[in-house]
Amino acid sequence: MSTEQAAQEKIAGYLRAKMPQARDLMLTDFTHSAGGWSHEIYLFYAQWTEDGRAMRQGLCVRKDPGAGLLRELSDLREQFRVIKALEATSAPTSKAYWYEEDPSLLGGPFFVMEKVEGEVPNPWSRAGKEFYAEAAKRGKLPRSFVEALASLHNLDWRAAGLDFLGVPGAGKDFVLREIAKWESLIAQSIRKPEPMLTELIMWLKANAPEARRLAFVHGAYRTGNLIVKDDAIAAVIDWELQVIGDPMYDVAYVLSDLNREGSPLLSCIVERDFFLDYYQQLTGIAIDLEVCRYYDLLYAMRSTAFWLSASGLFAEGRNKDLRLARTTYSVPVVLNMAAKALGF
Amino acid sequence: MIAARQLISEIVTSLREVIAPAVAEPYAKSQAYMAAVVLEFVARQVEERSDIEAEKHAALMELMRDLARLPEVSALIRGDHLSEAGLCDLIEHLYGARARLDDATFAAANRRIRQTLRELLDGELKVAGKAEG
Repeated sequence: MSTEQAAQEKIAGYLRAKMPQARDLMLTDFTHSAGGWSHEIYLFYAQWTEDGRAMRQGLCVRKDPGAGLLRELSDLREQFRVIKALEATSAPTSKAYWYEEDPSLLGGPFFVMEKVEGEVPNPWSRAGKEFYAEAAKRGKLPRSFVEALASLHNLDWRAAGLDFLGVPGAGKDFVLREIAKWESLIAQSIRKPEPMLTELIMWLKANAPEARRLAFVHGAYRTGNLIVKDDAIAAVIDWELQVIGDPMYDVAYVLSDLNREGSPLLSCIVERDFFLDYYQQLTGIAIDLEVCRYYDLLYAMRSTAFWLSASGLFAEGRNKDLRLARTTYSVPVVLNMAAKALGF
Repeated sequence: MIAARQLISEIVTSLREVIAPAVAEPYAKSQAYMAAVVLEFVARQVEERSDIEAEKHAALMELMRDLARLPEVSALIRGDHLSEAGLCDLIEHLYGARARLDDATFAAANRRIRQTLRELLDGELKVAGKAEG
């Protein structure tokens, strides 16, 4: 029996225990993807009979691989709680069903959520870029892209119970927390000294802006982390980096060149002016481009932390995925972008 | 950037333990195993680029010499700063001392350090295949 077949049987057994009313439960169209850098993902349909009726539900299992990009910062339970909390809001997300801590079942904690129908074209691929460029011409998806982000920033995060994520204090606290978080990831990674990174971090600390307001921030809002169906955002996914923080943090990510290599469109999907106008119209939040420029440099630090962590995991022999090895060569490229933004 | 030999060693492990065992087709499987064997030989031939190391050392020497000419900054320089780890430490100390340095002195020292950072980064970019100009 292959590893995949074994996982399929274990998941089916788990679901039978969780759904005692489901008779003759079986899984179909079972796929195992290493889509995320942090998590293993199983996608499938569960079919069963209930009260004499045939039922079918698309499901997704997200599993902690143990040695993922975010290392100890990765918290699967937090992700589950966030998705659960968002169910009651207007934010487009999937439904979360069960969280399982016991690593003996699949080799690590996992949770089960709804498989939202749609597609997630990869914006780094040529096909993905073409998909988004065509969708941009039709106009509906760019609007939906902005609306989904606005729905996150407009939601009452306290009422939704999202304050468990930690609420930054006034002033610079949000930014300093983020810097400290990514410094801790860097500290966990085997690496050689990076003076340019030190300069960047010291500059970020010395120039930290104050957050004017707090919102629920996704932390990686871009195409590739959004399920698209019928030219609309069906669900926002990849809930790994969310925080209560400055909404400009997400806005800066959308504006960033990091997410639109080779495309004139932000995140390969939306015109810059349209994004700026429509976002402000939907949220009533004035976009501060100066603060966004600061956050773009914070993202350069975060990206560097990711690549140092990823390549470090490979160098430490903890993760054999060759994609992680490749990231060691991304470190100077990102730091070069930061140096240029700082004027040297 | 991870040292070349360490990187090759882990790629060899990945080829042997992950990639080759998962390949069903016999010829492709043998190629994956042989790639691991060849890479082990290559690892013995590889050296980190000495030209970049030499440029790095020269850039750091020049930086320390120039910073030593700035009276208030020279006190921050230690003998073990002549390395990338030392430069990280010096940068942290310079920012830490910013409040007691006058703005012009801090700016001059920071500008000079950034010039060296640019040179170090350009060396790394050569290896990353992204050298400019």
